[in-house]
Amino acid sequence: MAPSATITPLPPFQPDLYTRAWSSTPHPTLPLIATAHEKSVTVFSLSTLSKHSSLTGGHARSVRSAAWQPSTSKGSPANRLRLVTASFDSTAGLWSYDESSSSSSTLEKEIKAAALSSDNEDEQEQEWEFNLVLEGHENEVKSLSFSPSGQYLATCSRDKTVWIWEDVGAEEDEYEWETVAVLSEHDGDVKCVAFAPHIEGRKQYAKMQSQDCLASASYDDTVRIWREDAADGGEWVCVSVLEGHGGTVWGLQWEGKPREKGKFPRLLTNSADATLRVWTLKEEEEDDDEEDTTTQQGGFKTGFGAIPNSMRRSLREEWECTAVLPKVHTREVYSAAWSAETGIVASTGSDGKIVLYQEDEDTKEWKVIATVEAAHGPYEINHITWCKRFDASAEKKGEEEMLVTTGDDGVVRPWEVRIA
Amino acid sequence: MVEIQNANPTVLDVSQLPSRSRKSATVRSGPDSKCDSILYPKRPWLSSTSSSSDEEDEYEEEPVDEQDIYDLIATISDPEHPTTLGQLSVVRLPDIHLAPPPTERLGPNSLVTVAVELTPTVNHCSLATVIGLAVRCRLEQTLPPNYRVDVTMKDGSHAQDDQVNKQLGDKERVAAALENDTLRKMLDDMLKTCSM
Repeated sequence: MAPSATITPLPPFQPDLYTRAWSSTPHPTLPLIATAHEKSVTVFSLSTLSKHSSLTGGHARSVRSAAWQPSTSKGSPANRLRLVTASFDSTAGLWSYDESSSSSSTLEKEIKAAALSSDNEDEQEQEWEFNLVLEGHENEVKSLSFSPSGQYLATCSRDKTVWIWEDVGAEEDEYEWETVAVLSEHDGDVKCVAFAPHIEGRKQYAKMQSQDCLASASYDDTVRIWREDAADGGEWVCVSVLEGHGGTVWGLQWEGKPREKGKFPRLLTNSADATLRVWTLKEEEEDDDEEDTTTQQGGFKTGFGAIPNSMRRSLREEWECTAVLPKVHTREVYSAAWSAETGIVASTGSDGKIVLYQEDEDTKEWKVIATVEAAHGPYEINHITWCKRFDASAEKKGEEEMLVTTGDDGVVRPWEVRIA
Repeated sequence: MVEIQNANPTVLDVSQLPSRSRKSATVRSGPDSKCDSILYPKRPWLSSTSSSSDEEDEYEEEPVDEQDIYDLIATISDPEHPTTLGQLSVVRLPDIHLAPPPTERLGPNSLVTVAVELTPTVNHCSLATVIGLAVRCRLEQTLPPNYRVDVTMKDGSHAQDDQVNKQLGDKERVAAALENDTLRKMLDDMLKTCSM
C-alpha cells in the first residue's frame, strides 16, 4: 500500500500582514517564528499563533529573510534572542531582544502574555534592539545561515558573492564581527546559503578539513560546496560544483536526520526548473581505517600533521545527484523543507501547491504522499518550513511537527500533518 | 541625457491598432489599481468589502481574453518616444497567449498563465528590460492574483534574449528592482498613459 499523509490547514497567524511576506524562520528551540515582510520582521508566538514582537526601522528596503543565532554560542546568554536580517538594502542587520532578569521559562511566559494583550504593541516593539549592521555586499542580500556553533555567519547577495563573518566579540559579550572570507566563484546572484548541520557520531570525513561545510545556490543554475581548509590557514575553498538544474536554484536544505553509518548529510535543492533534487557526497570505504589511524595519533590536529604533504587527500569532493523527486509542480519551486524528525520533504512555489514526498527505506525511491492545491488561494507561496507545535490543540507540545507556509497574500499559515 | 537607441521607429496610428469591434463604453476592468502603487501593491480584491461572489460572477461572465491583456499594456508609454508600446508594435496582439483559454477557466483559484512576447524596436535595445518590467508590473497590478505573468522577448528580436528573459522571470529581482527609486520613477512615467 502506498504511504499517504493528510495536510489540514490550521488558523493563520494573527494578524495578517496583507502584503507579500517572503519567509518564516522558526527559532531552533523556543516557540517563536520570524517572518520577513516589507522592511521589517514580525515575530509570531508558536504558542498563541499571534504576534510576539516586531523588528522595524533597521532597513531601508525589504527584508528578504532572517536567521536566529544559535544560543550555544560562547558568551551568548541563553535567554537572549538574536536575529540577523538579510535586506535588499545590501546589508545584514544584527538584532537582539534582551530578557534582563529571566530564564527561558520566564521568556515563554512573557511571550504568551505579550501575545494575549495586543494593545501594548508599541512597548513590545521597543524590545528589539538593532545592534550592528554588516556592510560589504554591493547589492541585495538574499539569505543567511549560521554555522551550527553560531561562530560563523554566511551571507549571500545579487553581487554573486558569499561572505563569511565571524562573531569575534562573543566571548566579551560585544557586538563585533569580522569578515573572514569573500567567496566569489558563482556567475550569478547567490540565492541561498546553508551550513551543514553537525551530526553526532558522524565520521570525520576528511581529516584536513574543519567540520563546517557550506552550500550556496545560485541564479547561475549551480550549487557550490565550500569548506574551510585548515591546512591553508583557514582559507575557505570551493570543493565541488553541483550541476544539473535547468534554472535558478532557489533553495538548499541539508538532511537533518542522521544517516546510517554516520554518513555525511545529503543536500536537497529546489529550482526554477520546477524540480527538486537530492545530492549525495561520494564517500570512500577506506574511511574506517583512516579513522583508527587518526585516533591512535591522538586526534584531529596531530593526525593531520603526521600525514606527509604528498599523501594529503585533495580537498575536491565528488557530489552526485542521487534523486530527482517526482515532478508535481508546474512552475518555479521557491522553497522546500526536509524534516529532521521524519525525513519527509515538503515543497511549494509559484503554482501555490504544497507537495509532500517520502523516501522508501528499502528501494530509496521518493514517492508523493500528499498534495494541497491552491494552499494560499490564488497566490504564490514563497516559503515553507517544518517547525514544532506549541499551540493549544497540539497533542504533544514541543515534539509534534507542523508545516508553516508564507505567501504573497501576507498570510503565514500553519498546517497539521498526519502520516498514515 | 541618454542617447536615443532608435531615432526613427515605425509608429502606427491609434486607429490601426487591434481593438474589439464593438467596444462598449464600460469596458470591464480589473480591480481598482493606481500606477503609483507599484511598490507593495495592496490586493483590493482580498480585503474588499464588496462580496467576493459578485466578483467571481463577474469573471465568470466575461473572462479576460487576449484583447483585454492587449488593452492593458498597449497603452504603456515607450521610455524614449512619445508614443505607446502598441503604436511601436513592441506589444502585438498575436504575441499574447492565455492558458488555459478563456472558455476553460475553472474558478478564482485555478491558475491562468499570461505569456507576452515583446518585440523591441531595435535588437540591441538596452531598454528591453525596463519595457518588460513595465509590462509585467502593469499586468500583475491589474489582473486577479490567480494570473501568472510570463514576459519574454520574442525569439531573435533581442541580442541578449536569454539574459533579459531570465531577469524578467525572476520574482526576487523584479521585487528588488521596484524598490529602486530611479527605476520606479521611470516605470511610473511609462504607466501614466494607462487608463484606470
